[in-house]
Amino acid sequence: MRVILETKERKKPFLPIEAETIIPSNFLKGPELTVYEGNKERLLSDLFTIVVEGTAVSPDKVEVVLKGDTARIKRVGEYMATGTIRIQGDIGMHCGNFMSGGVIEIGGNADAWLGREMLGGSIICHGNAGHYCASGYRGEKHGMRGGRVEVMGNAGDFCSEYLTGGEVHIHGNCGDMAGVEMKGGQLIIEGDATRPCGNMKDGMCMIFGTVHRILPTFEKIDTKKLPDRNVTVTVYKGDVANRGKGTLMIQKPHNEGDQHPANTLPGPATT
Amino acid sequence: MIIKDVVCPFCGCLCDDLDVEVDGQKIIKVQNGCTLAEATLTGNNRLPAPIRRTANGWEEISYDDAIRETADILCAADRPLLYGWSSTHGEAQSIGVHIAELIGAVIDNTSVVCHGPSILAIQEVGHPGCTLGQVKNRADVIVYWGCNPTEAHPRHMSRYTTFATGFFVPEAQKDRTVIVVDTRRTESAEIADEFIRIERGGDYEVLSALRAIVRGKGSILPREIAGVAREQLFRVAEICMKAKFGAIFFGLGLTMSNGKYKNVRNAIELTDELNRHTKFTISPLRGHGNVYGSNEVFTWITGYPYAVDFARGIAFYNPGETTAVDILRWGECDAALIVASDPGAHFPHAAAAHLAKIPTILIDPHRTATTPLCRLQIPCTMAGIDAEGTAYRMDGVPIRYKKLIESLYPDDADLLRRIHDRIREVQGA
Amino acid sequence: MTELLVKNACVIDPLNRILMEVMDIPVRDGRIVESVSAGADIIDAKGCLTLPGGIDSHSHVCGTKVNFGRYMSPEDMRAGRTARRGKMHVTSGYYVPTTYGNSYRYSAMGYTTVLEGAMAPLEARHTHEEFTATPHQDMLANTLFDGNWAIMEAVRAKDVKKAAAIVAWTLSAVKGYSIKLTNPGGTEAWGWGEDVSSIHDAVPNFNVTPAEIITTMIEANELLHLPHSVHLHCNNLGKPGNYRTTLETFDLVPDTNNGRQTLYATHVQFHAYGGTTWRDISSKAEEIARAVNAKPQIVMDMGQIMFGRTMTMTADGPMEFNLYCLHHNKWSNHDVELETGSGIIPVLYSKKSLVNCVMWAIGLELALLTKNPFQCLLETDNPNGAPFVKYPEIIGLLMSKRYRDEECATLVDGTEQRTAICALDREMDWNEIAIMTRAGQAKALGIAAEGKGHFSKGAEADIAIYPIRCRDVDPATEYRKVIEAFRKTMYTIKRGRVVAREGDIIVEGANSTFWVNPVVPDDLNVANDPEFVKKFEEYYTVRMGNYPVQDVYLPRGKCIRTKAAL
Repeated sequence: MRVILETKERKKPFLPIEAETIIPSNFLKGPELTVYEGNKERLLSDLFTIVVEGTAVSPDKVEVVLKGDTARIKRVGEYMATGTIRIQGDIGMHCGNFMSGGVIEIGGNADAWLGREMLGGSIICHGNAGHYCASGYRGEKHGMRGGRVEVMGNAGDFCSEYLTGGEVHIHGNCGDMAGVEMKGGQLIIEGDATRPCGNMKDGMCMIFGTVHRILPTFEKIDTKKLPDRNVTVTVYKGDVANRGKGTLMIQKPHNEGDQHPANTLPGPATT
Repeated sequence: MIIKDVVCPFCGCLCDDLDVEVDGQKIIKVQNGCTLAEATLTGNNRLPAPIRRTANGWEEISYDDAIRETADILCAADRPLLYGWSSTHGEAQSIGVHIAELIGAVIDNTSVVCHGPSILAIQEVGHPGCTLGQVKNRADVIVYWGCNPTEAHPRHMSRYTTFATGFFVPEAQKDRTVIVVDTRRTESAEIADEFIRIERGGDYEVLSALRAIVRGKGSILPREIAGVAREQLFRVAEICMKAKFGAIFFGLGLTMSNGKYKNVRNAIELTDELNRHTKFTISPLRGHGNVYGSNEVFTWITGYPYAVDFARGIAFYNPGETTAVDILRWGECDAALIVASDPGAHFPHAAAAHLAKIPTILIDPHRTATTPLCRLQIPCTMAGIDAEGTAYRMDGVPIRYKKLIESLYPDDADLLRRIHDRIREVQGA
Repeated sequence: MTELLVKNACVIDPLNRILMEVMDIPVRDGRIVESVSAGADIIDAKGCLTLPGGIDSHSHVCGTKVNFGRYMSPEDMRAGRTARRGKMHVTSGYYVPTTYGNSYRYSAMGYTTVLEGAMAPLEARHTHEEFTATPHQDMLANTLFDGNWAIMEAVRAKDVKKAAAIVAWTLSAVKGYSIKLTNPGGTEAWGWGEDVSSIHDAVPNFNVTPAEIITTMIEANELLHLPHSVHLHCNNLGKPGNYRTTLETFDLVPDTNNGRQTLYATHVQFHAYGGTTWRDISSKAEEIARAVNAKPQIVMDMGQIMFGRTMTMTADGPMEFNLYCLHHNKWSNHDVELETGSGIIPVLYSKKSLVNCVMWAIGLELALLTKNPFQCLLETDNPNGAPFVKYPEIIGLLMSKRYRDEECATLVDGTEQRTAICALDREMDWNEIAIMTRAGQAKALGIAAEGKGHFSKGAEADIAIYPIRCRDVDPATEYRKVIEAFRKTMYTIKRGRVVAREGDIIVEGANSTFWVNPVVPDDLNVANDPEFVKKFEEYYTVRMGNYPVQDVYLPRGKCIRTKAAL
């Protein structure tokens, strides 16, 4: 079954829509769902043109397609356990929070907290991801614990904060402090990063672009050849400000007198 | 008439030992206070009556009309914001939260532009702190990190730290070692025994290095960390570990520089680490008089210290998303009530500019930089001058503001209660 | 005049020795009366269990420390969120809920009175503000004196009258109810990052011992004729082998009050550990219970832990730091100048942890081994051992050996060897549960005379009607029904008004706060003592004139005046 949700024109297009009801399993019983637009509860059909093609007997056979002005729609795919969501354009914050299975594919950019506290399944974002991509929640000890997040563009600050399990793969650059508080899992950054892995307790981070300002509390212990990529990386242990059991591998360390690059990514202020 | 033991409502120190001479409705003289206190208590820039913007400028309107219009605007909004709260008392703050519940608003306080990052850090790692008297009576090592109390909290040093006589520190200046850490040599740095000058944005690295030293892993550190010689950090770590009681105070230099809350978190974890060797505490130097009170009141009613979103009935919290600056900057907000604060002066341009585009109401005694952004301003009393009520000092000690002079204005708590009741009427209808 | 008649109530009222009598309860203007007119509102209890409103005699629900627990825990606030509905405000949180969350959940369980376990005098105004926002329970505040400099100086001078006078001034200034000592002496030592490790250690710089503080304060408490006894959190909380400290402390306590105990020892589960390290920790509940059985002057509460996530919060700063070193979780500490300390860390009590299993068993053992239920009250030191919403499960465990056995079967190996829980056959009856949840508390706190915890004529009409018929249920086997019944009343009535119906709060509520004002002769009043005033002004950072809590903070304050025998 395929459910196509195309946004209708709205009087106040800047109002956020809280749409955690948009997960594949909810459409098995039909599209009579509600979402919040600002502080008003609305029928899904008030905000979207809904087209349902075919039928499905189980949620894994449901595909939800989001079209139109979707950049302000938050929480799509929250708690989803199976099925597929495809977003043609940009998507709002908290896409795929707590997701435990299934697939989310985002054609454009994803706003902040993409895949927050994710448990399983996979998210692929063809554009950029905002701040706190694949991170945790305020005050919670564990961030993402399983599954896979792949971002073809850049990610903002605090990417994979509190990463505990699973894999995060950023093809572009990361902002400041990727992998901060990491305690497990694997973070791969193809592009540049600044001050990665502060306070890291465990887990592994590999960075193949230029790394600005490696923290002074990472200890260089080795160099290592990665045969599948045919590159040599410097291996650090850290963060010794903490227990220091994490592994950071960097292809191009660059520490001398460089500045923090201006962050031009979308996303909220990191208040 | 002289009123003794007056509480100054200006900054988070809430000094409560001022003597104020009043004559009828006028404050004539302030003793014991700093210059900021004197300016606050004797200042006179009150808006005489509620005003409404019209095509031809401002017109005066009645309180009844102003209240009715405020309630109507808030009830009609899809994403209302209630912001401010730090320069009023807890009684008003509490009604503000209840209004937010009623109308599904976002309610936020001025923490968003000062110590919000400290709160986020505390939510990650906790907060080993104490009341200020504990520092005054015991601390032999004082650290000021990213703050300049000489200018922003002028009596902090004389009442609580460097120059204060304490029970176990009878000769304040001789018995206390003062360490100042900053990116520039401030006035406070001039009186420091040890001044650490950090390159801009390098606080996180320096704090990490200190933690490593305290953990006995200093040997891996490079010669210089963010412009600071390793040897100086070893020396400072030694001073801290040998302290009988150490106290770190930090300000916006730490919370608002690169890394923001992670800087604060790092400082807290340094404090935790030092507690394995001796006694150490850390405390944010809170700015506005009762901003900490707004955190306390919000917390016991909603569970969260700031940035609370009631859009869906329940309380939701996620700074960066539900913070006033963010919902304005993103253009989400479609009506705003500003109480006892001046976002026109403190918000980033994009956020302030949005306030001018939507119906914004200001409840504040004074004409401020926010006034030009508003559709409506309703003057009220000023907590601590012509209204009494509860305020929380930067260390959590609750103090009652005194009413020094009779007022010509309604208390903001009364205004808010009337708005609250009017909203219930509108909703009931 | 408002009148209410609760009909067909199956009443258990231990203080009046009423046991499962089906009767009517007439109420006028908030009080129990002889009879009401025919026009009275009627509630039909349908033969269901009807008890005086529940009383919690040791719970952390309001004040600086509790609010800091909330402040630092957005992750807990996500649990148990409810939206505004009818008369109910928004609530958030599971183990450190908002004030309304606490109040509604207590009310749903039939609780109408709660004593906040620890209020620092300097921060009392905060506690009272939160009391007002906890509208469905009458509140009382234990007031901390464990590290009070003026008190320690009086103890050193062996001047019990002075100590009593300081207590009297402080209680009336901060509108407190009773004397609380938390790790006496230890909180002052924590000002230097240290602790005391026995009741005979000297407190640094003050040259007094915890034992001296405890005995002096007990004597001062009785001189002041306070309604409650000294309320003590013993030294060495949570340390293996600490039962010796607890027994030594109990040996200090004279039997000097005919009406009630002279010592209330709180959360004793945390103080009943044998062994020397966490590896060989064992239960010493038998020794503790034996001592309490022999000493009518002592009342304790269980301090039961229940498995799951919760938050520990106490004035015992050094203990919390030790706990932080074990758990590496977030840690907050808040020392209060010249008075006390406090600490907060979140914990997870796990059935996979032998230490936690032993702790769980000890609380139950204490209750089951204490002969007189008036001497061992049902508490979890909320939220330290568990949030209070777990009380119904604890009731189930106390009433059913089968339920205990089922639970024991899920615990880690070794629990049976380290404790006696599996060997205990006692099953508490309805009357004993009523004692352990209200009558005992009323007596121990000294509020029976204020009309709490019983249905005598003139008593406050705080009534909890639970959806269960005692005679139709066998708690030993049908403990699930018992637990369900205690989770949610049919009606919770406070001061003659229905507050909660089947778990829903139906009125805004307006509580009272009880506080004590012991009247002391002028020449002993410390406010007139220049030395006391001078030290106050020199070492506190708040002026003495700004310290007392104004009446406006207690809109319905109930002052209990006592005449001190000084």
